[in-house]
Amino acid sequence: MASDRSRRRLVVSGVLGTLIIVTVYVAGGVVAGVKSAARAVVFPFAWTIDAVTRPIGHMVAGMVDYADLAKQNQQLREELGRATLRADENAAAAAQLRLLSHALHIPWAASLNTLVAQVTTNSPTNFSATVTIDKGKDEGVMDGMPVIADGGLVGRVVAVSWNTSTVRLLNDTGSVVEATFGNGQNAVLVSGEGLNNPLSVSGIPITAPLSVGSLLSTNGLQGGLFPPGLPIGRVTKLLVGPGASTYAISLKPTANLNSLSYVDVVLWEPST
Amino acid sequence: MNQSRLGIALATLVVVGFQLAVFTQWRVAGVVVMLVWLWPVAVGLTGITSLAVMTGFVTGLLFDAQCATPFGLNALVGALLGYVVARLGKEGVGDLDAAALWVTPAIAAVAGAAAPVLFVGAGVVALNFSLWRGGLVNSMLVNAVAFFVLARPLARLAGRLAAPALRGRR
Repeated sequence: MASDRSRRRLVVSGVLGTLIIVTVYVAGGVVAGVKSAARAVVFPFAWTIDAVTRPIGHMVAGMVDYADLAKQNQQLREELGRATLRADENAAAAAQLRLLSHALHIPWAASLNTLVAQVTTNSPTNFSATVTIDKGKDEGVMDGMPVIADGGLVGRVVAVSWNTSTVRLLNDTGSVVEATFGNGQNAVLVSGEGLNNPLSVSGIPITAPLSVGSLLSTNGLQGGLFPPGLPIGRVTKLLVGPGASTYAISLKPTANLNSLSYVDVVLWEPST
Repeated sequence: MNQSRLGIALATLVVVGFQLAVFTQWRVAGVVVMLVWLWPVAVGLTGITSLAVMTGFVTGLLFDAQCATPFGLNALVGALLGYVVARLGKEGVGDLDAAALWVTPAIAAVAGAAAPVLFVGAGVVALNFSLWRGGLVNSMLVNAVAFFVLARPLARLAGRLAAPALRGRR
């Protein structure tokens, strides 16, 4: 009987303890120190296991996917050639846009400094879409900085340690980005719908000049969370319900969020 | 008991390391198999409630430190799984040597299907109402199948590590 009581006491105190931790987390993130300590404890084990298993994984993947890799390599070479051509063509237009942006005092994404970072860990759970990158405070990364890859917005930095940072991706269910399209007069909200799901957009009236394939990009408003002009994604589905006055829209992110290897952190502070 | 605790503590660190280094990278149908939820289930099958609850709590907390989801949710899920399965383990259900071959995997599969629901439910406590959009059904299915497959070897390991504590009780 006494043992039953003590067991119940243990479980109740465990649940209460967790609830307190969760409450403290929600109230203000005081648990940052505990998280850092826990990361430091786990790191050597994860690093060692990774060092042992990664080469095995690469070997198996190399054996199984060799034909695909060779084909992919060929495709990438062709894409690189086309991209180089386009980059040359765009250089003049970019210079002109930079001058105009400067004259209008608009921070233009391409004129901002970036920092290349390698993605070290993909989202460790099914319930958040995040990646960990190998750059942190030491290299000037700060909380809230935008992250881009493959010519589009990937997300923003939500946690920074000395040598690593966590990036919340656009498709995370907690991600909301203010965007614009067309002539830039419409402001809409782009929300994440979870891993492997397209982004959703709300608040676009059916009179808006939008079609499948339209590009949405950051509008630079939203209290300055993102600089303007960062491509977010293209419309893949445009639905109008009976009697609805707004579109229900699916958006495919410009950057491939499922296979990020390297990203660029835009060294731009949200408040500036 | 101390020897068991030490062994389980070390194994817990290795399990979290495996979760981060291997299971996070090798997704099944786009879903991460949550070894950190299976480990307290395996320890729970030994029938030592306090050890199972503590293992679930610590494993979850260590994993929470790596995630952007509210801190403490995995700890809560781990502790609850550990407690419930330990109650079953105490009754001899899931005993690897005595029970039928399918019992341990079946218990683990039910735990694998229930854990994501518990996690999303716990998210409501942290005022996060959007966790269910992260592929809840897929997560339940994949974890149930993966837990079914992995349950016996992990339960065997937990049983070996907990053996000194079990001997002390007899």
